Amino acid sequence: MFPYSCKLCLKIKIHCVNQRMFCTSSLLSPLQLPSQMETHLWYILPNEVKSESLMKKYVDLLSPIEKEHVCSMRRDELQKNALLARALICSQVSPRSIEFKKNAHGKPEVCWQHSDDWHPPPLHFNLSHTSSLIACGITVGSPIGIDVEEKQRTMKNNILSFARRYFSREEVERLSAISDPEVQRQEVIKLWTLKEAYVKALGTGFAGAPFNTFTIRFGSANPNPNAKDSAMVIVPLENPSLLSTNWRFAQVELAGSHYAAICRENGGISEGAPMKLIVRKTVPLVEEHCVSEIDTVV
Amino acid sequence: MAAVPVTCVRLTTSMHNNQIVRKNSTFMIVPMGRIERGFPCLRSSRFQIACAAKPETVTKVCEIVKTQLALSADSEVAPDSKFSALGADSLDTVEIVMTLEEEFGISVEEENSQNITTVQEAADLIEKLVEKKNETA
Repeated sequence: MFPYSCKLCLKIKIHCVNQRMFCTSSLLSPLQLPSQMETHLWYILPNEVKSESLMKKYVDLLSPIEKEHVCSMRRDELQKNALLARALICSQVSPRSIEFKKNAHGKPEVCWQHSDDWHPPPLHFNLSHTSSLIACGITVGSPIGIDVEEKQRTMKNNILSFARRYFSREEVERLSAISDPEVQRQEVIKLWTLKEAYVKALGTGFAGAPFNTFTIRFGSANPNPNAKDSAMVIVPLENPSLLSTNWRFAQVELAGSHYAAICRENGGISEGAPMKLIVRKTVPLVEEHCVSEIDTVV
Repeated sequence: MAAVPVTCVRLTTSMHNNQIVRKNSTFMIVPMGRIERGFPCLRSSRFQIACAAKPETVTKVCEIVKTQLALSADSEVAPDSKFSALGADSLDTVEIVMTLEEEFGISVEEENSQNITTVQEAADLIEKLVEKKNETA
């Protein structure tokens, strides 16, 4: 089962399906951070993680403050997901050396505990989850935002009313033109994930960039009429100085059940060079499974 | 001791026969004779408590939240329940805000909507906006 597909014109390279198994008793593998040109997307399916002893190992990965935070969740499912999300990140970096803090707008960030002779890499991450999937995007040197939603998710409100309330006019026009209601629903959800990923990457909170103040346009960035590739660009409707057009997007499907959108700043990727997105499914400390490597084209 | 569960009590200084007149249902009411010990929420001897939002508003918000999150009618949604703790993600929250706007005829700005994290906060904001709307009408 290939748990992904790309809707944009992306050059897809199905690279590795090799699995790496870890002994739970072995040392954690060294940092496997992305290069500046790469974006890593990890995901966990919580329903597949059942072992109590494994969950205990995850708790051991956490700093005391993070342990407290996880324990403060009241519902079991939420507690488990909070733990898994932290284990996902902590299993990628040295244990207990990181804590999570929030920026001025509430966006979680990594706070390294480091010594004088070690300069930690400028690691950026963003988490998103549904009840059945937890995903984490990681970059080095560029802010990143991700969002995941279940493909089958139904909207309680009328789809177009929702779009009119939250999206820009151009986006509503595009969505209104879709005749099949099911496709329309899917496109609304996918657009939501893209916009949410962008706002999360900005890190200024929902109010910092209200959804109807910018359009995500699917269009050709390349004036060459023969170019088949299209890209997503941000078209700010107001405050063009606030919003930047310096962002890369990717949209993928995960595990056949979720739409995921990833947004990162261009930094580190030279003009015209592809951004590489590596998607891995994981059970922290147990295994990881490289699902795909995707070269996205600007 | 007859204890009656209540939600939001508006107590006024007009007390009749040492009995607290309760308007709606939500605090533990301890009957006479034990009044001086039984009310954790009393702050002054005037027995005046102002609740920020009407209980009907809080109830309506609870209903909308339960519908959005597909919770059963008898599931526990308290005024201080956080949406995220009930399982709401960002899309649920904006859908809830949208439904509240339609239900109450108000418009919630984005900077307000990101401050709505509990039922009570939503109800308080709704009443504030409704009041403002009625003032300008």
